[in-house]
Parts: sequence; structure tokens; C-alpha cells
Amino acid sequence: MRKIVFPGESLQIARRSSCTYNDGKGVCSSAVGLFDEERASLLPLEGPWQPRIDETVVGTITDCKNYVYTVNLSYYCRALIIGSRYGRQSDFEIGSAVEAKIKDIEDRTVLILSYPRALPGGILVRVKPAKVHRIIGKEDTMVRQVENLTGTRLVVGANGVIWIKGQQDGIKAAIKAISLIEENAHRQGLTEQVKVILEKEARPYTRNREQREGE
Amino acid sequence: MGSSLNKPELIVNGKRHDGRGFDQLRPLRIEAGVVKNADGSAYLEWGDNKVLAAVYGPREAMPKHIADPSKCIVKCRYSMAPFSGIDDHGRSGPNRRSTEISKVAREAFENVILLNDYPGGMIEIFMEILQSDGGTRAAGITAASVALANAGIRMKDIVYAVSAGRIDKHIVIDVDMLEDNYSDADMPVVVAPRNNDVLLLQMDGGLSTEQFSEAMRMVLEAGKRISAEQKRALEDYYKMAKE
Repeated sequence: MRKIVFPGESLQIARRSSCTYNDGKGVCSSAVGLFDEERASLLPLEGPWQPRIDETVVGTITDCKNYVYTVNLSYYCRALIIGSRYGRQSDFEIGSAVEAKIKDIEDRTVLILSYPRALPGGILVRVKPAKVHRIIGKEDTMVRQVENLTGTRLVVGANGVIWIKGQQDGIKAAIKAISLIEENAHRQGLTEQVKVILEKEARPYTRNREQREGE
Repeated sequence: MGSSLNKPELIVNGKRHDGRGFDQLRPLRIEAGVVKNADGSAYLEWGDNKVLAAVYGPREAMPKHIADPSKCIVKCRYSMAPFSGIDDHGRSGPNRRSTEISKVAREAFENVILLNDYPGGMIEIFMEILQSDGGTRAAGITAASVALANAGIRMKDIVYAVSAGRIDKHIVIDVDMLEDNYSDADMPVVVAPRNNDVLLLQMDGGLSTEQFSEAMRMVLEAGKRISAEQKRALEDYYKMAKE
């Protein structure tokens, strides 16, 4: 049973989890969210991204000095790729898209990224970070489904930036699917709904893909 | 305050000049998520007050020297639109009054926002008074609080604000422009309802200890209705988003 909770509302849980705080009287919500009483978990409905180590992020290179790349993650903290650690793999052009993992958060304000990988071509789309988990789906089911039905490749960053590559029609369909998931993130059975819609709309792209694979 | 020489009749037949009871609020309606480009927003109509509030952030603190690596900076701007009916408040735009209200509102919000969750960042809160009829700082803070929740900013509580006042010996709640100008005292209060923490209390005029206690009792009572409307606005927004 899920119910909507507001900041300051007491939650019947013993321990603090994300989006909660303890004011000495008990654990309370710190955001508008859906509280699952059975699992004792709070899912925020809105909110800025809060970076965690090992999360995958997507961004663009904005500057390079002495092999240290600054990455724009659409977030207020600076993000750096220290290129000398990765040798030739880290020859990125300014303006190019990259995927990386958060290795460390220095002084809580500088994100140090590791395992950088260039994402050539494609486009970047921004979504609300609170909806990213739904776009990825359980064990990546949702993102794989969108990829398969639209014939595109997707890399979803926890910071709310998604890289999409494919044919133009496929990209359009993928963006439509992502917007649909973002708007209906709180609905249950969303994977099935997206499948039905994409199968109707994206039939030509999957056919093209099947043909290509057949050839 | 208006002159006592031309003071209008504020209590008529045991009721206030607009027909309200002493503990009665003006009609209040809040709508969340009205500004598409903002991270969070709210529109509020409280009697003849019309307020638009928007929240941006957390974003990079600018200018950079104001950034605090241990916590987030809060910036707040209260502003009355040139057409809002500001006869008694001088010119529109930044002035002594709006600077003061921006400051006290910022300090109220700094008490509830979990500032340590966004180190080095900056949250900007804008309160634009589109139409004014007394109690605009209370209306602005009430709307901005909904906008903050709508932006998903982590905070301890959804604060509300309301003004209490004294007309002769009567304590009244939610004073309008006429009462604000000619009453014997008015007292805007900002409260965090979880523990009824008072985050802001200003007073113009005088109240005895008993009158002050009565005013606070009425503020907390009215706060329940204001809080309920704030939550209804947020609930409606997310229900609409779900449908």
C-alpha cells in the first residue's frame, strides 16, 4: 500500500533512509514522495539528483587543462576526469559526450569520474533525475525494451542525462517513450504500456532492424 | 498605518468590515507546478492577493565567492509587480520594504531546508506579488513553501504564514489591506507546523500578553487550514501528473 507523504510527516519506520530525517521524535519525510508501508521505503516524486559513488553518469566535456577534463553533468558540482590515469583512452574533444562512473566525491563538491567512455554521435536528452530509476526499470528491462523496439542505443545517466543514438525516426520514438515514462513514472505496469505504444508506433524501425539483422 | 482621523469602521455588527468572523480566513486557493521552466512553482490566491512563487536549484552558486562548501546558499526575492496596487508601498522593484521581506523570508526558509544536503549549491526563491490586498508577505511565504516542496528540495517541513491583528480589543486573523492600514496591531507569523516552531514573528503596534496568546492560538488554528490547502495543492498536482 503506497500513500503520498509530505515534508515533516512522520513515517512509521525505525531507521533513516533516503529523503528522510530524524528530529529526535522519530523519522520524518523530507520530500513529497510515495511511502510504501510494507517495504518501509520512500520514493521521492521530485527532487534534484544526489550523486553517489559508482553511479553511471552522462555529460559533455566542457574544458581540458593538463589532461584534466571538466564534465558538464547538468548539476551544480564540478565533475572531473583526470585523463592522465586513463592514457590514450581519454582523448576527448571539447563538446563531446561521455559516459563515466563516479569514483569519488571530494569535499562533497567535486565529483571525480572514472572509466570514461566517449559516446560518439547521438543526442543528449534531459529528464528529471527522480524518474531515472523508472526509465532504467528493474534489471534494465525498460531501457532494453525501448532500445529493442526503437532500434536505438541508450545510455542513461543517474544525473538525468540520456544519450540516444540511432536512426532519426528511432530517436524520435525513443524520446517519445522516455517522455511517456517520465510523465507516468508512478503508474504500475508501465513496461507493458510502453511496449504496446511502441509496438504500434515503432513497428517500421524494428522491421528495418530485423531486416538489417537478416541481411 | 493610516491616520486615526479618517479611520473607517472596521467592526460592523460584531463582524469585520468584509463580513468575516474574527477567526475567519479569506478564501485560499493554491495551485502547484504552474511555471514550466522552474524546478518548482506555485500560484496562490488568498482573498484579493495573487502571488506567483518559483524555485530554481540547487544550482551553481553565483557569484562564486558566496558558495559555501559545507552547505547551500538560499537567495530569496520578494517583489511586488508595478500593477499590483502598491499605493501604500512606494515604487515597485527593489526598495527597503522588499529587501526586508526578502531577508526575513530567506531566514525562515533557511530553518527548514536541509542545507547540508546541497553543499556548494544555491537555491533561489522568487515571490512575485501580482495583486496585493494586505498580508502579501504571508501569502508569498505560503506560496514559496509549496514551490519548494514542488521542486523536491529536501526540507523538514512545509511552512505557512499568516497575519494576526488587533482591532480595538478584538484579535483577528488574516488581516486585509484596510485592516492592515488602520488596525491597532498586526503580526505576521511564519510557522513550521510539525512542532509549531515559530520561524518569523514581526509586530506592528501593541498587544498585551493575553492578546498575544490569543493571537498565537488563532494563528496555529488557522495554520491547520492553510497547511491542508498547501498539501491539497501538491496532492492535486501529482494526481494530475499520474492521470
